[in-house]
Amino acid sequence: MDVTNVMAHVASSVDVTNILVEVAPRFEGYVYPNEASPEPLWGILIVIYPYITGLVAGAFIMASLVRVFRVQALEPVYRLSLLTALSFMLCATMPLLLHLGHPERCYEIMMTPHLTSPMAIFGFVYAWYLMAVLLLELWFDYRQDFVEWSQTEPGFRGMLYRALMLGVTDESEAAVKLDMKLGWIISIIGIPSAFLLHGYVGFIFGSIKANPWWGNVLMPIIFILSAMVSGIALCVLNYMVLTWVRRKKIDMRCLDMMAMFLFYALVIDAAVEGLDWIHRIYSAEEDFSVIRYVATEKLFYTLNIGQALMGTVLPLLMLGLNQVVRKRLSDMARKRMYFASALMIVLGVFAMRWNVVIGGQLFSKSLRGFMSYKMQFIGMEGWLLGLVVLSIPFIILTVMIKLFLSERLPTAGHTPHPTPPSN
Amino acid sequence: MRLFNMPPQIVRLCLVTIGIVGSYLVARAVLTPPSFREYGFFRGDALKDIMALPPQYGGKVSCDECHSDQFTKLNKGGHKRLSCEVCHGPGYAHTQSPDAGMHKPTFTVCSKCHEANPSRPKTHKQIVLKEHYAGGKCMECHVPHSPAEVP
Ligand code: HEC
Ligand code: HEC
Ligand code: HEC
Ligand code: HEC
Repeated sequence: MDVTNVMAHVASSVDVTNILVEVAPRFEGYVYPNEASPEPLWGILIVIYPYITGLVAGAFIMASLVRVFRVQALEPVYRLSLLTALSFMLCATMPLLLHLGHPERCYEIMMTPHLTSPMAIFGFVYAWYLMAVLLLELWFDYRQDFVEWSQTEPGFRGMLYRALMLGVTDESEAAVKLDMKLGWIISIIGIPSAFLLHGYVGFIFGSIKANPWWGNVLMPIIFILSAMVSGIALCVLNYMVLTWVRRKKIDMRCLDMMAMFLFYALVIDAAVEGLDWIHRIYSAEEDFSVIRYVATEKLFYTLNIGQALMGTVLPLLMLGLNQVVRKRLSDMARKRMYFASALMIVLGVFAMRWNVVIGGQLFSKSLRGFMSYKMQFIGMEGWLLGLVVLSIPFIILTVMIKLFLSERLPTAGHTPHPTPPSN
Repeated sequence: MRLFNMPPQIVRLCLVTIGIVGSYLVARAVLTPPSFREYGFFRGDALKDIMALPPQYGGKVSCDECHSDQFTKLNKGGHKRLSCEVCHGPGYAHTQSPDAGMHKPTFTVCSKCHEANPSRPKTHKQIVLKEHYAGGKCMECHVPHSPAEVP
């Protein structure tokens, strides 16, 4: 078959004529392709996707504080935050798959990846982070316990632990020491990887230079910082809920420490996001009038109330107060404030993802006119499915906690932060 | 299991890694369409698939065969850059058998391109339909195939 002939044929079948006859009846004047849809194509599911990956990266960085930075006080939440990261990681691609018209074709971007396709590369970044970082770090941490548990636990659990041992039964001190050392190395590799994972999600938006709301070099950085904030906040919530469910006493030293890191992360995040806005406002480029309208009208509630006030200012005040007068506040008061701030932050970061994803689609490069986004309740892009997708990681986490953080199972009790490798 | 005196964890993990990477490579070999990269970074057969679809548009030149009057006329006037099917709609079936009929547009087709709209380039001739001629019978004063001409 003659190639040029084929190409000419293909080209003529997508003639401009087509656009005029098929598309134009619905429009007046000249439009950009993304204006040729009645509502934004990316809905709640695409909002959830960066939200979940952010929680993964944040929870992992929280765990790294224990390992890499040897923050002893945070030890009670080390495994919990890793398991949180894992259960959200397992769901990170779910909203994307549900969003696709043909999810059964998803493997194709992995089979024929191209460097110009950010989503294909995300597949590999995701695989690297899941397999080479999260699972490995967990495996090294748990291997000794798996060996023990597989001997004491009967039935399904025993079989599971035995399978997860991957056939390594060595429990000698040298072997365990090696586990710890390798785990430490993995978590050092893990920090840049977590930054890569979520910075990459920011990059997917930030690299869209045709959209002034997205095309911004600060985007990956803002994504990472807000990810850290939301991840730590989620760990605070998980830890408090878990101890409450188990009727255990909260380790206040640990909780105070988490709140402190949450505060610092939030300060940096708020500063950088503020900087971004100052920069936009001061430079006031030609797109600024549109951006201002989006910020003050279209996204008024989610941006000013949700992201700025509830997600940033109030938690900053509460957590900041705790830093200053911690000694004078009772345990109960502190717990309540931490819980409230963490909850508001988790919701506020969700609002931030919403503002990025939905806000960017409300106008286009033509800078003329706005679209509206109205979420339905039922349907692929509805509230209901969004809630279901967001609750699945929590269900997975519950199962994981039952299996791997069970109170019945004794842990080897090795410190997850060894002395620096000496040899 | 002590291979080359390596610790057992490392040996197992290497095996697992080889397993994962291996199955990816096998999957890739099996699942990549055979005609991929035949012409470029896409499935070569896709072109044949698209060609197999029934064409919708005949293209401007194809009308010349039977309507050379309109064809030469159009190419001389202000609408010379337009394709016939912009106004008449897809006409491949008609070029194969004229019995298939062809849409004869009315004045509404003119407003698609000429109704005044600030987002249109200034160089493009625009009118406010209601002010220009409210009746809508553009064809009384303009010949569509040669718009500057008065019929
Ligand atoms: C094979 C010859 C042939 C080709 C090629 C052809 N036509 Fe025709 N066309 C005819 C004939 C014959 C008639 C008259 C049929 C009738 O009056 O019923 C006609 C009639 C028409 C009419 C008038 C229909 C009406 O209802 O009065 C239009 C408009 C038209 N053609 C447009 C086109 C366009 C546009 C093309 C190119 C895409 C085209 N034709 C290609 C043969 C052809
Ligand atoms: C600007 C839009 C436009 C374009 C471009 C156009 N036509 Fe027409 N054509 C019309 C309109 C409008 C009529 C109906 C005229 C009438 O009702 O008096 C028409 C009528 C016709 C007729 C019916 C006979 C007649 O002359 O009234 C034929 C045949 C035809 N066109 C062929 C063509 C061919 C062939 C081309 C491409 C070379 C073409 N047209 C391009 C708008 C267009
Ligand atoms: C597909 C878009 C399109 C449609 C439909 C269309 N025109 Fe045009 N028209 C043009 C273009 C392009 C020009 C070239 C000059 C310009 O850019 O303004 C033009 C030019 C003209 C001119 C000025 C001619 C000159 O020589 O200066 C008139 C009058 C005109 N059109 C009338 C009409 C009428 C009447 C109709 C309906 C039958 C019509 N047009 C349909 C695109 C269109
Ligand atoms: C009563 C006769 C008449 C009718 C009917 C009419 N026009 Fe015109 N039109 C004219 C004349 C005369 C001119 C040239 C005068 C001028 O340049 O302002 C013209 C000019 C135009 C131009 C070019 C404007 C420019 O800026 O040069 C366009 C486009 C046009 N007409 C479109 C239409 C369309 C579309 C319709 C149908 C709604 C229509 N006309 C109906 C008489 C008419």
